[in-house]
Amino acid sequence: MSADEFDPFVERLFSRTPPMADAALFTAGVEARLQKGSRFRSLAIVLAGVVGGVVAVRETVNVNVNLGEASEGVVAGQALGQGMQSASIGIQTAVDSALSGLGLNQLELGSVGGMQIFWLAAASVIAVATISVVRLSQEV
Amino acid sequence: MAQARDLALIDRHDVELAALAAAGGRREFGELVRRHGTPVRALLRRMGAQPALADDIAQDAFIQAFQRCGEFRGDGTFAAWIKRIAARLYIKRCVKEARYVDEVTDDEAVHQPHPGDIMDLDEALKTLSEPERLCVSLCHGAGMAHPEIASALNLPLGTVKSHVKRGLDKLRARLQPEPAQNQSAQTLGRAQNVG
Repeated sequence: MSADEFDPFVERLFSRTPPMADAALFTAGVEARLQKGSRFRSLAIVLAGVVGGVVAVRETVNVNVNLGEASEGVVAGQALGQGMQSASIGIQTAVDSALSGLGLNQLELGSVGGMQIFWLAAASVIAVATISVVRLSQEV
Repeated sequence: MAQARDLALIDRHDVELAALAAAGGRREFGELVRRHGTPVRALLRRMGAQPALADDIAQDAFIQAFQRCGEFRGDGTFAAWIKRIAARLYIKRCVKEARYVDEVTDDEAVHQPHPGDIMDLDEALKTLSEPERLCVSLCHGAGMAHPEIASALNLPLGTVKSHVKRGLDKLRARLQPEPAQNQSAQTLGRAQNVG
């Protein structure tokens, strides 16, 4: 066999591989590693989301306090507070009217204050954002 | 239901599966691992890796391939792509551990067959020195060009070419039956038939 014939012959030999008894085990090992990596990524994103949420809440509280103390920002702080309060009242009114339309106006939603609704909404937004990011990262 | 989905995966082409894997499809990538796991492991063993190390590197190669699946455009085959990834990982490991030496050394450790033995490829590769085995496997098993091998191993191109040539010469001697041996076998066969 000449060198020109021998090269493709060797390549054909290389392309033939004997079956391996533990092939399924190997595949399972790779799949387990992929799964593990995905879990770590999800956990890291959830942790980052929680930490970010806590920091955001803390910073928001600090901003309110600072606005109250700083003489220059008092007007802006009051305007912001009033805006938030009126927005929450607006939301509350809209929810009340929707509930009364559905015959659920006996529900004691009125006892929940404007700021409580704001925090609930903020927590919901953080949770939804975290879930969305986790799902997105799993798909990418 | 799951079995039906697995059957659907079996019918799919590698390129399709790779595209789905690039979009995060772990099940589709699992099918690619099922198809190409054994050839990749065999190549690494042929390159000279011990079975356990070969399996570790093959796993790393598949994990890396999953992360880089979007880069696979289907210009070549998936098999060739994953083999190159695995080969490069093995080279990196060899270079890092300084296992690879330029000189053809340790010839005594190389398996010495009896003259005229006809062997399979795996046995024949054991008769090559480590650099020869690595260069021949990279060239004919992983489909890497000589300059690519030289660059990956930090060796002069001429050295790589001579390793490949020497390795092939040895393989040719081991894998091809001697004409004289053929003749004697035929003669023996005829004698038996007559008898």
